[in-house]
Amino acid sequence: MLGKGVVGGGGGTKAPKPSFVSYVRPEEIHTNEKEVTEKEVTLHLLPGEQLLCEASTVLKYVQEDSCQHGVYGRLVCTDFKIAFLGDDESALDNDETQFKNKVIGENDITLHCVDQIYGVFDEKKKTLFGQLKKYPEKLIIHCKDLRVFQFCLRYTKEEEVKRIVSGIIHHTQAPKLLKRLFLFSYATAAQNNTVTDPKNHTVMFDTLKDWCWELERTKGNMKYKAVSVNEGYKVCESSVKLKDAVFAHCYVLSITQWLASKRSSINRRKKEKPHLYLEGDLRQFGLPAYFVVPTPLPEENVQRFQGHGIPIWCWSCHNGSALLKMSALPKEQDDGILQIQKSFLDGIYKTIHRPPYEVVKTEDLSSNFLSLQEIQTAYSKFKQLFLIDNSTEFWDTDIKWFSLLESSSWLDIIRRCLKKAIEITECMEAQNMNVLLLEENASDLCCLISSLVQLMMDPHCRTRIGFQSLIQKEWVMGGHCFLDRCNHLRQNDKEEVPVFLLFLDCVWQLVHQHPPAFEFTETYLTVLSDSLYIPIFSTFFFNSPHQKDTNMGREGQDTQSKPLNLLTVWDWSVQFEPKAQTLLKNPLYVEKPKLDKGQRKGMRFKHQRQLSLPLTQSKSSPKRGFFREETDHLIKNLLGKRISKLINSSDELQDNFREFYDSWHSKSTDYHGLLLPHIEGPEIKVWAQRYLRWIPEAQILGGGQVATMSKLLEMMEEVQSLQEKIDERHHSQQAPQAEGPCLLRNSARLSSLFPFALLQRHSSKPVLPTSGWKALGDEDDLAKREDEFVDLGDV
Amino acid sequence: MWWGGRGQSFNIAPQKEEPEMGSVQENRMPEPRSRQPSSCLASRCLPGEQILAWAPGVRKGLEPELSGTLICTNFRVTFQPCGWQWNQDTPLNSEYDFALVNIGRLEAVSGLSRVQLLRPGSLHKFIPEEILIHGRDFRLLRVGFEAGGLEPQAFQVTMAIVQARAQSNQAQQYSGITLSKAGQGSGSRKPPIPLMETAEDWETERKKQAARGWRVSTVNERFDVATSLPRYFWVPNRILDSEVRRAYGHFHQGRGPRLSWHHPGGSDLLRCGGFYTASDPNKEDIRAVELMLQAGHSDVVLVDTMDELPSLADVQLAHLRLRALCLPDSSVAEDKWLSALEGTRWLDYVRACLRKASDISVLVTSRVRSVILQERGDRDLNGLLSSLVQLLSAPEARTLFGFQSLVQREWVAAGHPFLTRLGGTGASEEAPVFLLFLDCVWQLLQQFPADFEFSEFFLLALHDSVRVPDTLTFLRNTPWERGKQSGQLNSYTQVYTPGYSQPPAGNSFNLQLSVWDWDLRYSNAQILQFQNPGYDPEHCPDSWLPRPQPSFMVPGPPSSVWLFSRGALTPLNQLCPWRDSPSLLAVSSRWLPRPAISSESLADQEWGLPSHWGACPLPPGLLLPGYLGPQIRLWRRCYLRGRPEVQMGLSALTVSGLQDELSHLQELLRKWTPRISPEDHSKKRDPHTILNPTEIAGILKGRAEGDLG
Repeated sequence: MLGKGVVGGGGGTKAPKPSFVSYVRPEEIHTNEKEVTEKEVTLHLLPGEQLLCEASTVLKYVQEDSCQHGVYGRLVCTDFKIAFLGDDESALDNDETQFKNKVIGENDITLHCVDQIYGVFDEKKKTLFGQLKKYPEKLIIHCKDLRVFQFCLRYTKEEEVKRIVSGIIHHTQAPKLLKRLFLFSYATAAQNNTVTDPKNHTVMFDTLKDWCWELERTKGNMKYKAVSVNEGYKVCESSVKLKDAVFAHCYVLSITQWLASKRSSINRRKKEKPHLYLEGDLRQFGLPAYFVVPTPLPEENVQRFQGHGIPIWCWSCHNGSALLKMSALPKEQDDGILQIQKSFLDGIYKTIHRPPYEVVKTEDLSSNFLSLQEIQTAYSKFKQLFLIDNSTEFWDTDIKWFSLLESSSWLDIIRRCLKKAIEITECMEAQNMNVLLLEENASDLCCLISSLVQLMMDPHCRTRIGFQSLIQKEWVMGGHCFLDRCNHLRQNDKEEVPVFLLFLDCVWQLVHQHPPAFEFTETYLTVLSDSLYIPIFSTFFFNSPHQKDTNMGREGQDTQSKPLNLLTVWDWSVQFEPKAQTLLKNPLYVEKPKLDKGQRKGMRFKHQRQLSLPLTQSKSSPKRGFFREETDHLIKNLLGKRISKLINSSDELQDNFREFYDSWHSKSTDYHGLLLPHIEGPEIKVWAQRYLRWIPEAQILGGGQVATMSKLLEMMEEVQSLQEKIDERHHSQQAPQAEGPCLLRNSARLSSLFPFALLQRHSSKPVLPTSGWKALGDEDDLAKREDEFVDLGDV
Repeated sequence: MWWGGRGQSFNIAPQKEEPEMGSVQENRMPEPRSRQPSSCLASRCLPGEQILAWAPGVRKGLEPELSGTLICTNFRVTFQPCGWQWNQDTPLNSEYDFALVNIGRLEAVSGLSRVQLLRPGSLHKFIPEEILIHGRDFRLLRVGFEAGGLEPQAFQVTMAIVQARAQSNQAQQYSGITLSKAGQGSGSRKPPIPLMETAEDWETERKKQAARGWRVSTVNERFDVATSLPRYFWVPNRILDSEVRRAYGHFHQGRGPRLSWHHPGGSDLLRCGGFYTASDPNKEDIRAVELMLQAGHSDVVLVDTMDELPSLADVQLAHLRLRALCLPDSSVAEDKWLSALEGTRWLDYVRACLRKASDISVLVTSRVRSVILQERGDRDLNGLLSSLVQLLSAPEARTLFGFQSLVQREWVAAGHPFLTRLGGTGASEEAPVFLLFLDCVWQLLQQFPADFEFSEFFLLALHDSVRVPDTLTFLRNTPWERGKQSGQLNSYTQVYTPGYSQPPAGNSFNLQLSVWDWDLRYSNAQILQFQNPGYDPEHCPDSWLPRPQPSFMVPGPPSSVWLFSRGALTPLNQLCPWRDSPSLLAVSSRWLPRPAISSESLADQEWGLPSHWGACPLPPGLLLPGYLGPQIRLWRRCYLRGRPEVQMGLSALTVSGLQDELSHLQELLRKWTPRISPEDHSKKRDPHTILNPTEIAGILKGRAEGDLG
């Protein structure tokens, strides 16, 4: 309890205006400082991590639901994280901290996790960036995982303040080179460490075998083939060198800007010598080394437009219909090139419109659906609701909670994504059509929608391994630009769009509505969303598999040495002890019973018949012609003359959708079959665990879902032990009782914020949340604490 | 609550066996007129109930559609599915019964048009193909008529419903019917809920609460102090009945301070009406009033109940808006749903109640003092707050039994005007305060799923019971009226109640049925669902030994008097408004001076608080609810029942399923233990009771599937 100043206020209706001066006198600071250095927690550095700058005697504010404490310690900035080393960590060594992240401590902020930095100058809050003329007395850091840290620098030496503030600002906000990511220094340093083999069976989709396996699993191998045309990204050796040189230049230029300029220069040259550039390389445009295309598609077609305009297989439904995606061809003005593109697309469409392929419906995600801009705006509004500097701010927004929430339209965006996914599901499931998702680069909303569709239709994706494989397939190999979308390199703020987070939020809605259908829990999703910002895992730190492979040194001449061994986020043991990992697993999940396969099949057919019967007419031949018309339309679309209206009259579409949706929801749910979310107004909710977890006011002591969960685990345990007993009797042998103590059972009353926000643990005193009462309590408290200080001084 | 119960609210018939195809076919046939259902239906009628009209129909909106009969009587509209096991379980059907007062809106559908039926005249030239009955309790019944409504019976029954409803609206007082237990096989094993109508009930309860400084007063035995007060209540030991009578005269409607709940730690929670300001008490009266308020404590906190809480009109308006919003055909766009919900302000009010209750429970729990809830009428928000405070601070109140006795004591016996507030009298003072209370309790249930013995379904059942015509509990405004009706008071003419013609010796009124006789309307399977499978009594352990602090019964003047208002404590110079400055007396109940300065500036001032008011650790039994915007949720299972798309899919794999499994396994083990000794188990294995683990795992999965299915 050293050096804790207690500050009154908070809660009420007005800013508490905490002032530390009144309670902590300079003499105490000095005495404390000594002790702090003695008791100080040693900085834990990862392999390859380097200390950059530090400052001592920093006061970190600790929010408890009524008042704010301060804790003295050292503020440190390394090339991996910002860390605060205070003395209160020793108090946390108990059972509840078992859900501890081994990489990131509770007072650690990875550099990529920093969202905004504010400084307080004379009670005024200002955003900090660039070179500072004046240094703030208080530093506020908003994190991307929605934590808010406040550090008081008033008692820190001036040069230390300068160093730490400018250090933090520089290392978090200045644009970075890809090669300078901590990822690489970590991988180099940890090279010799035996990487624990991730005993998971997540399919990484980086080999041809993986794709064949997936084709086999979904029975798509009849009509689709895995191709290795892009293997080793082999097209030309020389441009690799060129690439490396260019990477050095892109310190200021964003990668995408660079890509755009590159593309236009290619295009320019194409115009000059079209025959030379028709067969470009696939490497910059996100295609993985291996992927799957319709069987009759000639492999050389794939290369013509660098993988653009090629229908790429995502997934096959049990009834044979498939989900495909395609990136749009570059927009051209030149009629000659347009002609070439048109005939190319015609050829493509001929192959996929002929039987055995089902009727194709095209979903243009870049023109009729969400824009990335919308997502960005909505999320930045939405997250502000939860990034709270003090409780007063929270109370202010609380009154208008629902309308604020609505005006952010984040929930509405989630609803639209889910709705689109249901529409596509309807096409595939009920109308037996192929769906082709179309997007400029096929790497943002394509990933989102196709993963959602698979999650709804394929129960395998609802297991943990299946879900991880899905992310690996659709997002990582699908070329989602994690580096840009998360703005890990701080090169272009405009490119920062939380598409993946939106996906996780959509998944959360599904998990929340149908918990027994998923093998993983919401905690798993929350932890996954946090892992987005930990730069020791390669999973979310590249724009494309090609970029990863080039930078890992698997190719090119400069790396004669061993290729770097990067960690994958799916190796959860890197972050969590096995005990903590139990919280990621849903105890209620029942695996698909394998015994009654025949019966299930029968049921499925029945189900399908019921759904598709009223719609069979719509699949008859006139529709085929109808869709052929759409092909032309689509080509026009692809060629840049976009006509916004769908051909399908929206009414008909709505009706089909409605009927499908209603009929599914009026039946009881088969958790191992098709799963649709509710999308009505009241059903889309805030992912409370992720967004509220750091807000002490949101804590319900002894309540929340944890309470149910612990009861549940207890019962599961009991069932298990009873079964063991029966087993024992059955075999009349004494099996050793192996009862692992459960994480949840140790402490009687956990808070609803469990397993996060351990800081608030000691706030067990009842406090009237109203200012009057609180002031009284605090005053009382304060008197006691001042006594403590006096005692300390005497010692 | 994602693990919820296993059913889909109470809308699925508990008898799961589907009518066989043959029987359905048979019933589809238009029955000959001579086979009036009266023969079978009449036996199902309540005494005094007459069938006005009936027609065959099909219950729509939910899968599977059920065919059955739509019946209109002079009390209710009910739908009876074919194949319903009549002589089983419950005499009344809880699923499809709509008491006439409960019908909020009536619509008839013909083709694409939809007409709201208000008067019998609106039916002219309109053939109802389908009729929609919107309950005021958010239920919806859709019945489609066979032959597209061309059947004359369809027309008749619609007419009858419209007429009966119009008549019931006119009726000044809704009479209801009373059933007695005499006809029922009263085989309930559980102790009955004390109705708090006898002095013994009050004495037992007082002992249970260990309220030593209090006694049961019989001063209102003949309802001559106040008709809205119960016949018995608790007053401080030292106060004589004559003093009670004298003091009560100075309170609004004679509702003076009484004990609500005695906290084991020594504090007392009192409730009283507003001071009757027109009276002119003498010194002795004032002394009596003060003694009663002080209840032997040196610290007294007056809580202005109406402060910060919605007015009755607010509650009513919010509830109307909420009902409009939750209508299945509500026109609110999905993306505007949240602001529409906010616009009803219902959740705001729920939050305000929780917040205030949480504040008060902290005041009560942690210190020895007398906390007095004061509301002008003392019949609405006082009941709400005192019940909530008890739920928050007393683990016993969170049991099924405890909660029912709590409602009986703080609402029914305390004289909450149920009939008026629920719109039974057609008076303008309608305000569903009790439903607001139920919503608050539901929020607590959400937030503390392991701390309550009862489940959401119990709350739902209670919610639906407030307008049923078969028990008196919620059909009277005051205990006096209730007693009059049930024949407790011999001085009043006894109402004829069938099946009650021969009052047996002993306490005749104990045979009166109350709403707590759940088996009247709910089947055993449904009543089983009232239990919360996640209830974990470990959370409120026996070790919760409150430190009984000496309550100093010093008859001296209180050393500190506070007013708790606007979330802040303000010192008061005196307890009663009359003594020094009569000019202060406002006519309204809100005589208490509002702090002119805002609370936060008050907070900055120095308070000379007694030192023992300092912070103390949270007692283990106390729940502190969250009342932030994101934590207050909409009671979907209740309010959105009318929407089929929301209604379905509320089921989830449940804890109860697991619990079944547990008991099943335990049963298996028990059967085993005596039968087989380890040596000969292979011989005596009974294939029906002994399963090998894989078989058991199979059962587990099968059950899980069954739950899902």
